[in-house]
Amino acid sequence: MGEVIVITSGKGGVGKTTTTANIGTGLALLGKRVVLVDTDIGLRNLDVVMGLENRIVYDIVDVANGNCRLKQALIRDKRFDDLYLLPAAQTKDKTAVNTQQMVDLCAQLKEEFEYVIIDCPAGIEQGFKNAIAGAEKAVVVTTPEVAAVRDADRVIGLLEAAELRDPKLVINRVRPAMVKKGDMMDIEDMLEILAIKLLGVVPDDESIIVSTNRGEPAVLDRNSLAGEAFMHIARRISGEEVPFMDLGANDSLMTKLKKLVGLGR
Amino acid sequence: MTAQVPSERYLQPVKRADHSQSGNPGTSPFPAENRWAEREPMDPVSAAADFRTVLIRRTVRSGQSIHYPGNIVVMGDVNPGAELVAGGNIVVMGHLRGMAHAGATGNEQAVVAAFRLTPTQLRIANHITRAPDGEGHKPDQPEVARIHGGAVIIERYPATGVRNLNG
Repeated sequence: MGEVIVITSGKGGVGKTTTTANIGTGLALLGKRVVLVDTDIGLRNLDVVMGLENRIVYDIVDVANGNCRLKQALIRDKRFDDLYLLPAAQTKDKTAVNTQQMVDLCAQLKEEFEYVIIDCPAGIEQGFKNAIAGAEKAVVVTTPEVAAVRDADRVIGLLEAAELRDPKLVINRVRPAMVKKGDMMDIEDMLEILAIKLLGVVPDDESIIVSTNRGEPAVLDRNSLAGEAFMHIARRISGEEVPFMDLGANDSLMTKLKKLVGLGR
Repeated sequence: MTAQVPSERYLQPVKRADHSQSGNPGTSPFPAENRWAEREPMDPVSAAADFRTVLIRRTVRSGQSIHYPGNIVVMGDVNPGAELVAGGNIVVMGHLRGMAHAGATGNEQAVVAAFRLTPTQLRIANHITRAPDGEGHKPDQPEVARIHGGAVIIERYPATGVRNLNG
């Protein structure tokens, strides 16, 4: 019996799909049996990021409406035998699936897989409700921007209202140099506001853009710092204790002193 | 002991409620339907005497709102985008970063107290205030906001020592 984890954020563009693809691929690298579910019906991306776009025949709407069997819609990854994708439909919209269908679908998937990772659409409307309906755990992705943190807070409130307790936080696209200069929110500030457990911090990394465009998740790239951070997250999800990466974003002695005398922020 | 200075720092009043259109002078600056739509309209006098209190033991997050005719006590933070609206007083045992409206039915005696008081906006009765622009004031102690001399002021809490707690 596997676990169903939804990756959500509220705000768009913070890296939900990238996080989903990398956590999923990371878990597959660890030898787990994983399925990724794209619930962003009408704006599907996960298939592109995974490099599996050209293999789609059936999608999540076909499964929900009984046009095909679940097995027919699952696409096996080209790199890992135990990694699958259930793609979203592109020609429908969020109302094409309802929450009960999602609950049933997740129940079916977790019979087969150790991890069911759900990529949630941006927003808090029907698509969000569908994505969280069948989930047991939640990962909230945010970036060190006030607007993203605000939306993350909103989403955490909604998750709690939906009885999805103890969501975990991934802070994406951190630029340690900017944090150090005080130009970017630091991790402690964000944790203080959101008051949930930290699952991982992912540094901003240009190689992510290359890897998502190529359809090769960054965890497969040994030279990618972001890939390494995502791999750590995957290992933490699998139950391993992994120390947090030192991004050099922590306060140096000098900035601490400056703070003390009221010079820094 | 030196004489107490009542104001520690002043919030800059943004605007006073405009009662000319509402046709309901002396009470809340907002139309009643925004507030307790399902409830019967409350008499400000009885609201002032309303000692009922609700205790919220969690973080109040963006998009969540708590409306209560009596007092509201939050054990936790109130984040930006959240709102508390009380007929009576509001006490936040945590960091108040969202919007708080005490004495919403017109009680000018109502106060807002918080361990860390940095609200997006603070309203007491029909006074609406916000922090001055550009001032990143970060309090390091509990504070209380109340109406004094026709304006909302924020002062240290307790003002001088514990003996003031009963005053």
